[in-house]
Amino acid sequence: MSPARISLVVTEVTELVPGVRGLALAATDGAPLPSYPPGAHLVLDVPAGDGRPRALANAYSLTGENVEPLEYRVSVLRCDPATGAAGGSAWVHALEVGDKVEAHPPRSLFAPVRHASRHLLVGAGIGITPLLSHLRSHARWGAEAELLYLCREGLGAHVEDLAALAGESVTVLHDRAAFTALLRERLRDQPLGTHLYTCGPTGFMDLVHLEAADAGWPAGRLHAEAFGTADLDPGEPFTVSVDGEELAVPAGVSLLEALEEAGHEVANLCRQGVCGECRVGVGPGSGPVLHRDLYLTDEDKAAGDCLMACVSRAEPTDDRPAHLEVIL
Amino acid sequence: MTATPTAPTAFLAPTGLTTDGLPLTTVDEERRAALVAGFPFPFPNPTYRYSTNVEPARGAVLTPAGQWGEVVVDVDVEYREELAQREQVLARDPSRYAVLPHMRVACWDAMLGLMRELAAAYPDDMELTLVEAGARPRYRWRNGLLGLEQEFTYGVEDTLPGEPLGWICSQVQEDVVLMDQRDGVLYGDAGVVTFAADWSFGFDVGMSFLEIHGPVPRLHAEGVITRAQQFLVRLQPGEVYRRTNWTLTIGRRLDVSTELYDEWGPDRESVQLLDDTAFGALVHLRVEVQHLVRLPESGAIMFLIRTYMLPLEEVARVEDWRVRAADVLAELPQDMADYKGIAKFRDRAAAWLRAAG
Amino acid sequence: MSPAPPAYTSVPVWTREPVVEEPDTAGLVHTVLQVGPDPAAAAVVADWCAVLAAAPPVRVLPHVCADAEEALRALAADLQDARVGHRVLVAGSARDCLAVRAAALRAGLTEEELTVGVTSVAVRDVWCVHCAATASAEVDLEGVVACPGCSRSLLVYPHVSRRSGAHLGFQVDAEQLPEPSGAAR
Repeated sequence: MSPARISLVVTEVTELVPGVRGLALAATDGAPLPSYPPGAHLVLDVPAGDGRPRALANAYSLTGENVEPLEYRVSVLRCDPATGAAGGSAWVHALEVGDKVEAHPPRSLFAPVRHASRHLLVGAGIGITPLLSHLRSHARWGAEAELLYLCREGLGAHVEDLAALAGESVTVLHDRAAFTALLRERLRDQPLGTHLYTCGPTGFMDLVHLEAADAGWPAGRLHAEAFGTADLDPGEPFTVSVDGEELAVPAGVSLLEALEEAGHEVANLCRQGVCGECRVGVGPGSGPVLHRDLYLTDEDKAAGDCLMACVSRAEPTDDRPAHLEVIL
Repeated sequence: MTATPTAPTAFLAPTGLTTDGLPLTTVDEERRAALVAGFPFPFPNPTYRYSTNVEPARGAVLTPAGQWGEVVVDVDVEYREELAQREQVLARDPSRYAVLPHMRVACWDAMLGLMRELAAAYPDDMELTLVEAGARPRYRWRNGLLGLEQEFTYGVEDTLPGEPLGWICSQVQEDVVLMDQRDGVLYGDAGVVTFAADWSFGFDVGMSFLEIHGPVPRLHAEGVITRAQQFLVRLQPGEVYRRTNWTLTIGRRLDVSTELYDEWGPDRESVQLLDDTAFGALVHLRVEVQHLVRLPESGAIMFLIRTYMLPLEEVARVEDWRVRAADVLAELPQDMADYKGIAKFRDRAAAWLRAAG
Repeated sequence: MSPAPPAYTSVPVWTREPVVEEPDTAGLVHTVLQVGPDPAAAAVVADWCAVLAAAPPVRVLPHVCADAEEALRALAADLQDARVGHRVLVAGSARDCLAVRAAALRAGLTEEELTVGVTSVAVRDVWCVHCAATASAEVDLEGVVACPGCSRSLLVYPHVSRRSGAHLGFQVDAEQLPEPSGAAR
């Protein structure tokens, strides 16, 4: 299920540090926007064009006030398409005040654990953004927090914001060796009950987790921000034959939606692959099925005779395009 | 709607059984009509099994007698009566209300969420105004039905007359459980549950979602609860889902918690000895409409349980309901009837409904 | 072990039959509690300590405690200033392990930081839902025990609180009709 898009307008553009652009986005009618958990991200629709072969959905951590916000704030590092970046950040860097933007409502995959007695936040580079949001919330609720931030001198976004929120609980370092030494020390001196949150380049997060494991931290206390786009994955287009008719299911459209659009009635409820209502039969003329539901058992899937139409799709093979024969 | 000429039962002759004096669902025609019109009849199919029967909230469901489901927090004719009952239950047994220390944020979140739902559903009587945005938003809350007006600062306890969850639960008919999410598991760590159907919130507080549902037969073997939890941990901020559950309760008794099992348990025997008139007036189809809301600031799941009750004599006045309820009760597998605590009288309930046609 | 009925989700397997878990050698500091004089518990602790001694530099804080109360005091003292990296290991009866688990979770420990070695499962704590007294008795799941508070006969329900370590108990014969009171019938 993808909830309705929200329409936003760019109200402020700032160069936070060289290469990082801060963006404020407000509702087109100026009303308060939906609240969101600290560490949540906003997925912006990036249109095709300007060297982007297809439309993109780019996730950016929200950095501003999260309760009843009048605007959503994101900070975006410019990644050069010449080095393989898909071009979403270049598009953000070209936005101007007054431009309209479509977004999915905020999504949360990196919320603070409120049960923790203390929060150790460890960020590098642009990975500071969700941690800034965490720190705001901890300041509001008087929760104990400590933040370690590795960034290049003069290129660390939000250094002043962090200091204003948490003062001496924030340490900013520019040298990797010094950072690792401090991290090692701080990991061994956190009261039982502390949880750790890290965001930054993958290699950096791996390092933090390895150091934490060395210091005896169990996995349940470790949290990393990895933009989970799997659940937003629009999928690849495929074709369906049903009742002697051929349907095309484009990327971003579910089999269920395609069947409904073609006038077929399919029982359904949750539209998220959970409830089991929209199970449809799959005939022998089908290619492999990409099961993405939580309902069918492994045995069901191995039998290969059904799928959940709201989330699952067809997969291509080396010698034939993605196709399903659906039996209603 | 098909109305039979039977008049609702106003008064039952004394029998010497434990069911004497149990509350009935009234002869007040206005109240009766409102309860029937808003009743969330829970059987879409002629047989009932557990399933992860969640669906997006807020969709109106039309019934032969009216409709339900447009709002997440429902204020009906029983508003003042049920709030008074909640107050009495809490005064008698404070363990029905618990907030573990780490749930403070979730309680604020829940209060604001419930106020928003009330204001959206009943704009004439309920109003939430953002007075000042920012790191510490300020609000004004007006509940015209209870004559309350309160200005408060988000997260500042001193600006409220009481702890936020307890205070807002004195303004809604719903029972509330707040579930904290840690490591992909949901824990029922706070709540106000005064109208429990055969469970003990005071004992269960702190348990995981799977543990709370532990004793229910079939649920686990069939993977229903595991799937429900997987679904809930993925619920995104602002998303609201709902499901229904049901049982039979003797008398219009909202508080059938395990704590009071010794008080209401004997009615399951007594009811078998009643004459048909008393049986139809006392046996109630009890339906829970449960809403599941992801709260934005805390990330907790707010689980709302709203209980509706209608005696069989009223169910029977709606022909579709009469036939469907009889079918479901007659067919229900024995282990499910045992767990629901209705094994001793569900056959008679089915027969009663069939005979009422 | 006989498979647990699928509905026993709140009942730890180690309260149905003795189970000795392996210590988590990833921890840096280990509080090791032996509760009660049972030689079987002493043997479990000895095995654990041998495993931990062979692991990378770890500190072991051993305690031999006469009963659960003493164990809870030792645990509280150790956890007072504990850092992340701490583990708790407890050997003794299932009842005592449940009590230590409840205290450890309250102190901020997570389930994965706790190791149990259960040597007997005969005794259970049963919390009376009607009067809130707790019975402690040799009784099986779904057995019956007398409430020390209100004298009701309590069914020992297969439902265990992680906050108290007790089983849920409710009146086993609540659905029986009371003796006729002489009212008209």
